Amino acid sequence: MEAVVSIVTFRDIFQYEAGKKGRYTPEYQDLSAQIILDKQDMAKLGLKDGGKVLVENDVGSIIVAAKASEDDPHPGLAFMTNSPWSNHLVRDDVCDTSIPGFKSIAAKVSPSGEDITKIGDLLERMKA
Amino acid sequence: MLVVTCPGCSLLCEDIELVLKTGAISQAKNLCRKGYGHFQSMFTERTEPTIDGQKVSMDEAIVSAAEILKGAKRPLLYGWSNSTLEAQKVGIELARKLNATIDDTSSFCQGILMERVLKGRVPTCALDDVRNFADTSVFWGADPSNSHPRILSRFAYYPRGEKRQKSYEEERTCIAVDVRRSATAKLCPNYYFRVPPGGDAEFIGALMAVLEGKIPKFGDKKRMIELGTVLRKTEYGVIFPGLGLIYSLQEKMGLLEALVARLNEIATFKVVPMVGHYNMRGFNQLLLDETGFINRVAFSDGKATHGPENSVIEASKSCDAALVIGSDPLSALPFKTAQRLAKVPLIAIDPRRSLTTDAAKVVIPSAMYGLEAGGSAIRMDGVKIEFEAMMESDLMSDEQILARIKEAI
Repeated sequence: MEAVVSIVTFRDIFQYEAGKKGRYTPEYQDLSAQIILDKQDMAKLGLKDGGKVLVENDVGSIIVAAKASEDDPHPGLAFMTNSPWSNHLVRDDVCDTSIPGFKSIAAKVSPSGEDITKIGDLLERMKA
Repeated sequence: MLVVTCPGCSLLCEDIELVLKTGAISQAKNLCRKGYGHFQSMFTERTEPTIDGQKVSMDEAIVSAAEILKGAKRPLLYGWSNSTLEAQKVGIELARKLNATIDDTSSFCQGILMERVLKGRVPTCALDDVRNFADTSVFWGADPSNSHPRILSRFAYYPRGEKRQKSYEEERTCIAVDVRRSATAKLCPNYYFRVPPGGDAEFIGALMAVLEGKIPKFGDKKRMIELGTVLRKTEYGVIFPGLGLIYSLQEKMGLLEALVARLNEIATFKVVPMVGHYNMRGFNQLLLDETGFINRVAFSDGKATHGPENSVIEASKSCDAALVIGSDPLSALPFKTAQRLAKVPLIAIDPRRSLTTDAAKVVIPSAMYGLEAGGSAIRMDGVKIEFEAMMESDLMSDEQILARIKEAI
């Protein structure tokens, strides 16, 4: 069971503040390792608020918490705050302007029983 | 009580009142959540001078950084948007001396638009003009409630200005064009226009059609006509493009130029890019003055060349050492770029711990601007703001650290 989504990243002031407290704080993880999905997509995947999902594409994969969107319906469109988690899925082979697709990340989302990816794990993958 | 300038974003608010006690802010006035995050961060996760994770003296860290850069064939110097003009100036000199590639965050942020603004291709204005004259503000792909929290209260919507005494109640309209109902869009529910991701070029096309009196072929026709009517009735309008619009348009930025030119046939319309980091515009201006380019520059025998191959994304593929200052590219850039930077000898100059400092070979702690160090910066609208150190600190500023590295090379 999976949904194909395009992820748009956005800025969140509470996540920013949490990041200023520290990149490794639980608050920063909670507000970063989260994907906002359309209610229809949540239902399709059998997800409830806070349910863990695997988000993956050919760049990488992360486990994050799903949150139901309160916006007007937007099936197929998902939102994440801009963070090392979302950037883990951003392609770096870029067009002429050399701007990566931070706001148009194609990915698959499926329910997962695994733990949410820690920021330390992301750093280890960068160093590997 | 201290009256300080906040480098939390590129509004550089100068009216922040703080009372500090040991290890915390005990009172604050005029400070937004973002600014609070900035100042409060002074008390946590501060860096120490290290080489390979081992604590060393500042002198040892600086000498090691100089040796790495000196030994590199293709060094990359990256960051810069969170440093003062004085530090940026030394940084550009250092790049020239090293025959290095130098790039800043504008490279994947507001650079495409900022270049047009700095070269006079897009009309712009000071935020004080927005406060005094603007009756329509369009936040397009921007959510200032989260990115520039006080722009609405200080300049764009709520304040009374010289010609806008009746302010938002009667005289100002705030418009949000966005792919989602952002916090800012919720403030102006009647003027929120939803655009599909990547649909901004078509949205501009529809708006142009409406301004010509034609029926738009894109979006909700009735609402597009409504938007056209508001813009037609405007006396002094300001468009604030955020990253949503920049990323959506990219090489089609000429469409925004054309729209603004068309709007200026009707009334006065200006563009102020929603610059995030407090001195990105300063770096772009300085480098433009020095080299004729705002970012993505490689020096060779003192001569500057410019191109996408010098962007941090591309340069990370060929650099053999990198100096990162006031930035956390391992958090902010795509995974593969971060991975490449994590694998070269990396020097991080930063007041605070980040993924980049955690991966760096050499970490050099710096003073925090706004409190521990002073200098000058260019606000998002081009106004130069100067600020002083407000407290004594043993820490060196970015400028001093860079000067020492330059001297040691």
